[in-house]
This record gives sequence, C-alpha cells and structure tokens, in this order.
Amino acid sequence: MIFKQIRHEPLAQASYVLGCARAREGVVVDPIEDLGVDFYVLEAADLGLDIVAVLETHVHADFVSCARELAETTGAPHRLHEAARGLVRYDLVPLADGESIRVGQVEIRVIHTPGHTPEHCAFLVTDHARADEPWCVLTGDSLFVGDVGRPDLLVGDQALDVMDEGERAARQFASIRDRLFTLPDHVEVFPNHYGGSTCGGVNMSGKPASTIGFERRFNLALRQPDAEAFARFVRETAKPFPDDYRRIKSINLGLTARQKATEATR
Amino acid sequence: MTPDEVAAAVAGGAVVLDLRAPRPFAREHLPGAVTMQFNRADLADRAELVLPRDVPLVIHAEPEPIARVAAELLAGAGFRVAGRLDGGLAAWKAAGRPTVELPLLDVDALRARLDALEVLDVREPFEFRHGHIPGARLLPSGDAWSRLEEVPVDRAIAVVCGDQTRSAAVASMLQRAGRDVRLVMGGMVDWLERGYPVEREPARV
Repeated sequence: MIFKQIRHEPLAQASYVLGCARAREGVVVDPIEDLGVDFYVLEAADLGLDIVAVLETHVHADFVSCARELAETTGAPHRLHEAARGLVRYDLVPLADGESIRVGQVEIRVIHTPGHTPEHCAFLVTDHARADEPWCVLTGDSLFVGDVGRPDLLVGDQALDVMDEGERAARQFASIRDRLFTLPDHVEVFPNHYGGSTCGGVNMSGKPASTIGFERRFNLALRQPDAEAFARFVRETAKPFPDDYRRIKSINLGLTARQKATEATR
Repeated sequence: MTPDEVAAAVAGGAVVLDLRAPRPFAREHLPGAVTMQFNRADLADRAELVLPRDVPLVIHAEPEPIARVAAELLAGAGFRVAGRLDGGLAAWKAAGRPTVELPLLDVDALRARLDALEVLDVREPFEFRHGHIPGARLLPSGDAWSRLEEVPVDRAIAVVCGDQTRSAAVASMLQRAGRDVRLVMGGMVDWLERGYPVEREPARV
C-alpha cells in the first residue's frame, strides 16, 4: 500500500493520497484548494498512482475544497456520502454506508459517521496485501487525536444544516462510540485536522495520528458518561469559530462561486 | 501542440515520449511512442539513462499538469523538447489519428509460452546475476536504444524487469522498431513470488 498524509500547516489540515503500488491506482481524500489541483496530480504521479476517485469525508466549513476541480481534471468521480446530495449544487457519485471502494489490494470501506455534519463519513482502510483486517481509518472531523469535531458549525439555514447543534452533538457521540470505537485497538487514526485547527477543541493534539485503542482509553470527550455530558464538554472546550466558515461552507456546497486564486503560472 | 502539429513533428523525426502508466500505455498509445515512468525526483535521470539527447521529444502525459512539469524537467536537463500533446489521447483520437496497442503478458502466460518467446531481461547485470528466467538474454535498459538490433528477430520478444517500469520503456522501443514484442507485467517480483525457476549463471550478453 502507498499511503501519504499531506499536512497543510497554516490550517493544520491533513489530506491523503493512498492506493495500491501494484495496481498503480489510488484515491485522494479531502484535497485542499490552498495546495491545489496540480499539487495533488503531481503528488499522486510521484507516488506512481493514477487517481481513480476523489473522496471527501464531508462538506468542509473551515477550508475551501478542490475536490470538484481535481475530479474534473483527472476524470475520476467526486464522491461524498449520499446525504450530501440534497445539499450540494453539483454532481457527485454518492457513497453509501458499508460500501467498499477497491483499488488493487487496498480496500476503503465507508462508515457513515454523522455528527460534525449529517453526511460525514470515515474511511476504513484495509491492505489485503498485508492482512484482511483493517489497518487504519481516516476519521475526517469525527474523531480527532485527543478531541472531536465540533457540532456547532451551522450556516443558519435549516435546509442546509439539517441537524441543530444538539442533535449533531448526540450523533457525533454515538458515531464515535458505536462505529469507530468498535474497531480493533490496533487501527490507526488519521484525522482531517490536528493541533491548532479550529474545527475541534482545546484538547486537540499536535500529533497528527493515533490509534483507536489509545483514543478509546484517553480521549477526554469520549470519556464523558453520556451524550449530554459529551455535548456540554465539547461546548466548554471549543475554540473560537474558524474564520469565515459560513462563506467557506457555502463555496464547498456550490452555492457561492469560488474566487479564483491567482491562476497557476503556466 | 495540436494532433496535426504532433504528427508533423513525428514525421520530421521527433519521438513521442508517453509518460502515462504501463497499463494505459499498453492499451492504447500513439504509433512510435516510447514510454517512461514519470516522477519529478528522477524523470531527468531516467531519461538520461535510456534516451538519446539529440532527438526532439513530444511529451504525452495526462492529466495536463504532468505534461507541463515533465517538459520543464526534460528541457532543464538538456533534452530537446519540441512540445506536448494538448488534450492527450482523447484529442489525438478525435482528430482521427490512429493508435496502437502493446500486448501484455503476466508471468503465468510467460511461463506457459517460454519455448516460443525470446525473454529479454532489461535489468542491470548485478540483478540478472542474482537470478533470471532460464534462457533470458540480458540487455540493460540504458543500452537498449543503441543496441536494439542485437535482439534476435526469429521469435516474439517478452521484455522483463523487476516489475514493469524499465521493461515498458524497452518494449516500447522494440515496438517502435517494428518488432513483435510483449510486455511482462509484474516482472521478476511476480516470477519469484510464484516460485518459478531461475538461473544464476553469469550473464549471456
């Protein structure tokens, strides 16, 4: 398996390129516009991978995505959980809970983990060249290292938000407890954010990876006895809101045209 | 470059350098194209190893950012880059231009047909000595461009390396020279994994 975590330090954001060395095919997960389409195309090429799918864990609110543009450039499908279909204003190939995406020996299983957003998914990765048990999980903005994704990044339009803050907190608690913490201890956790990111709370670690076993024992938010205590804890330990998150979310939903950054020099 | 401009350059002696992965290349490529693996770290080094510097190159890579960067890297390394194919294979075919296929073999098919094929191993001599397919002929990839005529003409050729990186390059050169050639996917890694026989005698060059 080829696996690369790409860390964009200014936003403490992590995107991923992973795939099968033998099949020479791979996927990109949660690409960020600040790095841009060319960056991912060349990164994948350097790793010897043709991009066959562009996946997003959810519609982001704290950074502008380049998933649509990357899908267009590579001809690969842009994939988000099917719950995003009524929300976004562009075409996508929906993901379903339990679905497996296969690239050579690598299997990526979709785990629907609503909470941070209604369409949020985690991606469970198994490298069948090594073992038939999962090796790592890309947790997006559900489970972070030492923290969890915040449930309060609402745009203020019920049709787009779908769930209010209270429901999101309850769903986040259940998604992590029942769907992620039921994975084997050895499964590595690779989140969408780390350290200083404002998508989580003050307990978010600067370390960009962990394991299910470690987080099950030591993640303070998930040590709370019930969903209500979890919601209270998350609110009390939240950071300030991310800059401009309503506008960013609106761009990523396809409601607002993105201001084209300086056109790449040719 | 438009497909017409590429065709004119090729008619004038340019070589199309196809930087896509071996499978898409094998499925369909421009007639006469030579292929190589793209990688920003070592594209120029690989090119220096296997390609002559005096031949103008037309870059075919997809998607477009790879073609642009490859052209810069090769020009920077002193190669003559005539241009790059705009719009890739789709544009070429839309212009009504022909494509060709490079037949592939896996190691099982290679083993089954070993008697009928000339096995050409394009790894380095030290790798060849360590273990090669019985009866294989050694022609290191860096020597291939200038020594193609040494490869016997009486049988179809199966080109092998460790996987299919160097073998794809040499297979494309042989096909360009009009030879009946097969690219072995998976190479010696797959051959050894299957436990197929190997020879360890000194190289027959």
